[in-house]
Order: sequence, then C-alpha cells, then structure tokens
Amino acid sequence: MGTLQKYYKQSATYKVFKGMSETLVDFLDTLGKITENGIHVLKCILKGQINRKELIYQCSRFGVSSLPITLTIVGMTSIIVTSQVALEMVKQGGGNFIGMMMSILIVREVAVIMSGFAIISMIGSSLASEIATMRVTEQIDAIEVLKVDPVCHLFIPRVLSGIIMMPFVTILAAAVGIIAGAVTSDLFAGLSYMAYFDSAWLGIYMKDLWVSLLKAVFFGGTIALISCSCGYFASGGAKGVGLATTKAVVWSFVAIVIWDMIFAIAFFF
Amino acid sequence: MSIEVKNLVKKFGDKTVIDNVSFKVNDKETLAVVGFSGSGKSTILKLICGLIPKDSGEIITSEGDIAMVFQYSALFDSLNVSDNISFALRERQDLRKKYTPEQIKDIVVQKLELVGLKGIENLFPSELSGGMQKRVSFARAIVTEPKSILYDEPTSGLDPISSTLIEDYIVRLKEETNAASIVVTHQMSTITRTADRVIMLYNGKIVFEGTPEEMLRQDNEYTKQFVTASLEGPMKMMEGKKDE
Repeated sequence: MGTLQKYYKQSATYKVFKGMSETLVDFLDTLGKITENGIHVLKCILKGQINRKELIYQCSRFGVSSLPITLTIVGMTSIIVTSQVALEMVKQGGGNFIGMMMSILIVREVAVIMSGFAIISMIGSSLASEIATMRVTEQIDAIEVLKVDPVCHLFIPRVLSGIIMMPFVTILAAAVGIIAGAVTSDLFAGLSYMAYFDSAWLGIYMKDLWVSLLKAVFFGGTIALISCSCGYFASGGAKGVGLATTKAVVWSFVAIVIWDMIFAIAFFF
Repeated sequence: MSIEVKNLVKKFGDKTVIDNVSFKVNDKETLAVVGFSGSGKSTILKLICGLIPKDSGEIITSEGDIAMVFQYSALFDSLNVSDNISFALRERQDLRKKYTPEQIKDIVVQKLELVGLKGIENLFPSELSGGMQKRVSFARAIVTEPKSILYDEPTSGLDPISSTLIEDYIVRLKEETNAASIVVTHQMSTITRTADRVIMLYNGKIVFEGTPEEMLRQDNEYTKQFVTASLEGPMKMMEGKKDE
C-alpha cells in the first residue's frame, strides 16, 4: 500500500464516506431481505400453508395484548389535543367544529398511526426478539433440518395476525379517541356531548373510514413482516438479539410513516 | 454408503474453514470428528445437512432424511416435549397428512421410551435438565426415521454420568435405526465409547484418520497432542478461530 493511500485511509473524509457506504449497503441488504421474505410469505399464503391454531394464538397476542396500551395512547393523545384547542375554539366561536375536527383527526390519522406506534413497541419488538432468540439458539436451524420451511412456519401466522387484527384495534382506538375528545371538550370547554357528536358525524366520510382501515391492514402486515425479518437474520448471541429488536422497531416506525405519507398523497392530495 | 464427502471446501471471507476434506461414513457406522475449537468440525455438520452452502466439492447422502442433534439441544421453548418431538410430523408438508393425532401420540411415546424418558410429554424444555433436553432432542431427531444422524458435541456441558448415558443412547440409536452417524466431539470418552472411526481436523484439513484405538496409540503427532492435552505440538491454539 502506497504512503498516500495509507494516509488517505486514515483521513476523516475516507472514514465518513466508508461509514456512509456501509450504512447504505446495510440498508439495501435489509430492504432486500424484507422484500424477499414478503414475497415468500405471499407465496405460502397463496398455497394455503396456514397453521390455524398458531394464527388464532398470534391474533390474540396481536390484538388483545396490545389493546390496553393502544387505547391508552390514543385516548391520551385525544385528551391532550382537545384540552389545548377546545377552549380556544369555543372562545373564537368555533365550538361546533370541535367534534368535526377531532373526528377527522382521529379517524384519518391519530387512531391508526398511534395504534401502529403502540403495536411496534409492544408486539413488533416482542416478535423480533422472539425470532432472533430462536435464531441464536439454533431453533430455526432445527426447523430447517426437520425440513419445515421456517419462513412459512414463523412468519405466516404473525403477518396474517397483523393484517387481521390491526383494523380491529384501529376501530376501537378511534372510538376511544372520539369519546375521550367528547369528555375533554365537556370538562375543559363546557361543550355538550350532543353538540360534539353532532359535529363529529359531519366530519366523517366513508372514504375516511375505509382508507383508515386499509392503512391499518398495511401497517399491521408491515410491522409483523419487518419485525419477523429483523429477528430472522439476527446473529451473534444476546447482542445480536438486541440489535435485531432495535432494527425492527426503527424500521417499522419509518415504514409506517412512509406508508402514511403514501396514503395521504394517494387519497387526500 | 450413507454419507460421502469429496473434496469439500468452505470459506468464510478470506479464511478457508474446510480445506479439501474427503471422507465416507457407511450405514451402521459412527464417525467421530475431533479437533480444536474453530477447526471446522461443526461447519462440516452444517454443510452436510444443508444449513450453509458449500463453496466446492461434493456431499453425497443416501436417500432419506438427515437428522441433527444440536450442541445445546435447540428445543423449541414455546412447545412442550410432545409437540417438540412431533414437530416434523405435524408441520412438514409431506408428512402432515400421513399420521392421525393418535398415531402421532403413539410415535411420541415410542420415541420417548427409546431415549429412556416416559411420561414427560407435557413438560416444557425449561422444566428439563440438560441431559433430559439432549435426550428429547435425540427423540425429535429420529422421529422421521433418518438415514443419517449428525451429533454436534452431544455431551458438551453435561456431567460425566449424564455424558455416559448420552453416549449409550448414541450407540443404541445407531443399532435401532441402522443410520450412519457423525459425532463432533472433544471428549475422549465419547470417541472411545461411540465411534468406529475417527478423523481429526486442524485448520480445516484432516490430519488423522483411523480407529479410536489407533488414535490412543498416539503414533500421530496431532493425536498425541490432542490425547495428552498438551500445549506443545504441531497445533497452535491461537491459530483457531470460532466457526461461523
């Protein structure tokens, strides 16, 4: 190695570009693996390779276990927003629009995105760490040696449970959010329940509802697929499990925000 | 012939972990693969059962399943013993419709009896001792009647008495299944009690091939260093690197 080359390799510029290129390669590698697994899962679903018993268990885990935290987060967000704007809107003569504003906000965005965030932290991290632990303890190798397709076996019940349960969670979260808004408006701004709900109904269109449910389907499937994939490609013991879990959470957060943006542009632009 | 490996090569990055290795294991025969940590022993097993791809060479196996017993048992911790053992029968595409639930239950009981464990079907792996977990993993491995069984350090982490028990079961499974077996081990008792032949690996190459008796005679400088557990000899510990 020439002196100049050796000197260059120690420079900050080289290190910055090397770090950036490694990050880019890792990003593309992860994206490729997730896409590959997604296609594999789709093929298995189309072939009908679904373990119903496991699917029911995963649905209960995805829906029931995540419900308390999801409803709490959406309810709290609704209370925070309403408490800050309700009194001001009543003062400015816009009290009749509080329900409409909250219903649009909650149905279109808050319910689905906050449910997504809650499910990532509650279920996504748990899926990633569970599968990563199976990887580092050779349980996935054992599945392969027994000639069972590990992606089909592990991913399908989890991804399907995300797709099935996320819309239900979102509907409940939206209902709790709107009700929390009504209670807060009454307490903070003295707005009657009747006025709030009359206005709320005016703000909700069918399009808002089905776009929100479609988003929930995409969010649920994406969170489960990313979490399972990040766990599946874990390596290196306890540290590897931790890294896989972090990666799953970060990627899921970014993915659902990107989906949200795509849906906003596609349906409301 | 049940397992034949010809000129097998495997590299991880620049490091050649398996370097032109060839051997044969016949039916009803047990081959012990020994060597320092990082000499490529476990990699050979993973290559044979297809968990990692080879770079070059040939692996020829008889038709039928290859079973593997993992170093730390690798039992599915969310499933009970019965579900662990019957996993392949319930989940494998070609087997799932072949057996009724009653038949699967009978097979599980039969395999558990074979490894000396009765009545633990409903226990979970976390409720079992290391030796019991290992025996359950034996039962899981043989549930599909494999033609070849690979054991990755089957006695590692066990007390001497449990090790002896496991060694007895390796011999018994060979007799019951007529399978070709490969045992990766560091332990001399496992070699002498279970193996018909031994190969020794160092830096990915075979440096000794013979019977356990020939190995104990220490005519070979590599086996002499291994058997006497000496730091002096042709094998340098620091040269080894953990298998990937």
